Amino acid sequence: MSRSFRLTCLISILAFALVFMGAAKDTPKAAAPAKAKGPAIPAKIGVISIITGQGSGYGEAITNGFKLARDEINAKKEVNIELVVMDSSGKQEQALAAAQKLINSDRVAAILGPTLSTEMKVVAPEANASGVPIMGTSTTAAGITQIGKYVFRNSLPESLAIPASVKKAVKKYSIKKVALFYGNDDVFTKSGYDTMKKVAAELHLTVVTTETFQKGQSDYKAQLTKIKNLSPDAVFCSALYEEGGVILSQARKMGIKAPFVGGNGFNSPKVIEIAKEAAEGLIVATPWYPERHDPKVKAFVARYSKAYGKKPDQFAAQAYDALYIMAEALKKAGKADRKMLRDALAEVRNFNGVLGKFSFDAERDVVMDPVVLIIKGGKFQMFQ
Amino acid sequence: MSFEWLNPYHLQVGSFILINILLGISIYVTLATGQLSLGNAGFMSIGAYASAILTTQHGFSIPSAIVIGSLLAGVSGILVGIPALRLRGVYLAIATLGFGEVLRVVFINWESLTGGAVGIAAIPQMGREILAAVEAAGFSPEDWGLRNNQFISLSIFLILAAVVVLAILFFLRLLSSRVGRAYTAIRMDETAAETSGIDTTYYKVLAFSQGALLSGLAGALFAHATSYISPADFTYHRAVEILVFAVFGGSEALFGPVFGATLLTLLPELLRAISDYRYIVYGILVVLTMVFRPQGLIDPALVAMLTREKPAGGS
Repeated sequence: MSRSFRLTCLISILAFALVFMGAAKDTPKAAAPAKAKGPAIPAKIGVISIITGQGSGYGEAITNGFKLARDEINAKKEVNIELVVMDSSGKQEQALAAAQKLINSDRVAAILGPTLSTEMKVVAPEANASGVPIMGTSTTAAGITQIGKYVFRNSLPESLAIPASVKKAVKKYSIKKVALFYGNDDVFTKSGYDTMKKVAAELHLTVVTTETFQKGQSDYKAQLTKIKNLSPDAVFCSALYEEGGVILSQARKMGIKAPFVGGNGFNSPKVIEIAKEAAEGLIVATPWYPERHDPKVKAFVARYSKAYGKKPDQFAAQAYDALYIMAEALKKAGKADRKMLRDALAEVRNFNGVLGKFSFDAERDVVMDPVVLIIKGGKFQMFQ
Repeated sequence: MSFEWLNPYHLQVGSFILINILLGISIYVTLATGQLSLGNAGFMSIGAYASAILTTQHGFSIPSAIVIGSLLAGVSGILVGIPALRLRGVYLAIATLGFGEVLRVVFINWESLTGGAVGIAAIPQMGREILAAVEAAGFSPEDWGLRNNQFISLSIFLILAAVVVLAILFFLRLLSSRVGRAYTAIRMDETAAETSGIDTTYYKVLAFSQGALLSGLAGALFAHATSYISPADFTYHRAVEILVFAVFGGSEALFGPVFGATLLTLLPELLRAISDYRYIVYGILVVLTMVFRPQGLIDPALVAMLTREKPAGGS
């Protein structure tokens, strides 16, 4: 008995030792902003991101985008941004606890993130009630900024991306009959489908069938056979790239020739890796096009690749722009005051970033023109 | 009077600990009869969804919705328990895990009622409702030296604390009663218990539905504490997490899962300072417990030792 008791003590001591080790490491970091000198406006900005667990790939790109932007912004010495990064592991409870810590313990001026729309729906009401501006950089579901007047986002929602790609495709291929195919157990793909349905009705397209799949499914032949027999002019597919790539490859093998039109989720070079030649002809709409002929974009891609050893994806680009928008608002507000920052953010119009021209609308949602891309010759190109 | 030290962040973490304690007790109750049920995430989702739907779509008040939600979970516990408890050991675990997954798929596909994968947002939150009620009555938290967000977090925390204390007292009493002895007898040896005249099916279903009711209660409270739920909250990850509370803390004493839930919810927060490595450390700690204390951190022997030594140290 005493032996087991000793072990319990040992483990508790170990746990506490680790905690204090962490705390000790944290102290110099906290002391740093005191050294901020000159006329630069100091500001503490909280970041909630997925650093561990499933989805940390997104979180990593986003955090890298923020860090790169912070270094560039601080070098200009107009504002001095200190990022306080919190991990949410993609869980709502942790995101909420992280937000409470940022709002009440770290007393940040504003929050960037969290990564997922599901997390945002829990965190945003809390930030809004506490009067802290919060800006999503990767939350694309419907009804995010409508939560309250402190809630913003700069990530292109599916409700803007999909109409763009669908309208262009319909015009080019004179599409009349379509099949809808979507993942019904994911917030992102589900709201993508809702938009597709709406756009199809607006354009008076005949929907011949609506098929669904689930996350992680690997065999789509049953649904695809049905779609093939109805021979639609196009397939509107709301999927993330993991499933989307496999769907494309199986569809082409089964002899479905109709063009596939997707939203933002399909927009990843991984689709080409997974589907190879079968990816040819996929049409997507996206805010981020790394080949754009713009010195800003080229400089960003070059610096990001140098710092992190890979090309920036859409999430890194959105995060990068988000911090610049925040710095812009900070300059206008004059100091890191939550309310003044919110008012300044709400007035941001025609901001020129790596994603092109960006404005907030009256509901603090995104106004921008997405680029429509098509996969041709094994890479994304502008769809004419 | 100033309560500046009252940090909503600490209260938030405290609230999640309390909800997890309820879940920990819920799995302990079924384990007390020797039944391993992994359906608690499923029952939690019944409580959460029922309560959320009643308040958002049918205008029920939060307390009545929470009560109905937990009762509904308890009743479904009886309905699932009667057939499922014919299974034992790992087969029961698989069946109940399957039950939770089936429920989740139902919630995803029953879009008109549950909003599908998007879930239910804008569920009335306990703290904010209380604040609104207090302000309608002509008071303001500032009269008591509290900021609004402190008041919101504090009221949620206090409600949950009251519920948890009541639940712990109830089950402590229950387990030292006739019912509790029947549970222990069944856990020790089901056949022997039956030959001694204990209605094993009755007590097993009773324990099962008590666990279901408690998970449902935790789910309903969760819905009204976070104001948003979606099927992704109730995956098998949640079921396993609840199981780990019992395994880590100890499944042979009521305070085992309570301690497990507290420590395992607190650890990721305490380890925030070492951000990137926190789940590595978390994993190492869980593995170490498994190696050195397979019965969990708290077992009846430890409880006995601590309670025996206390009077001696005091005198």
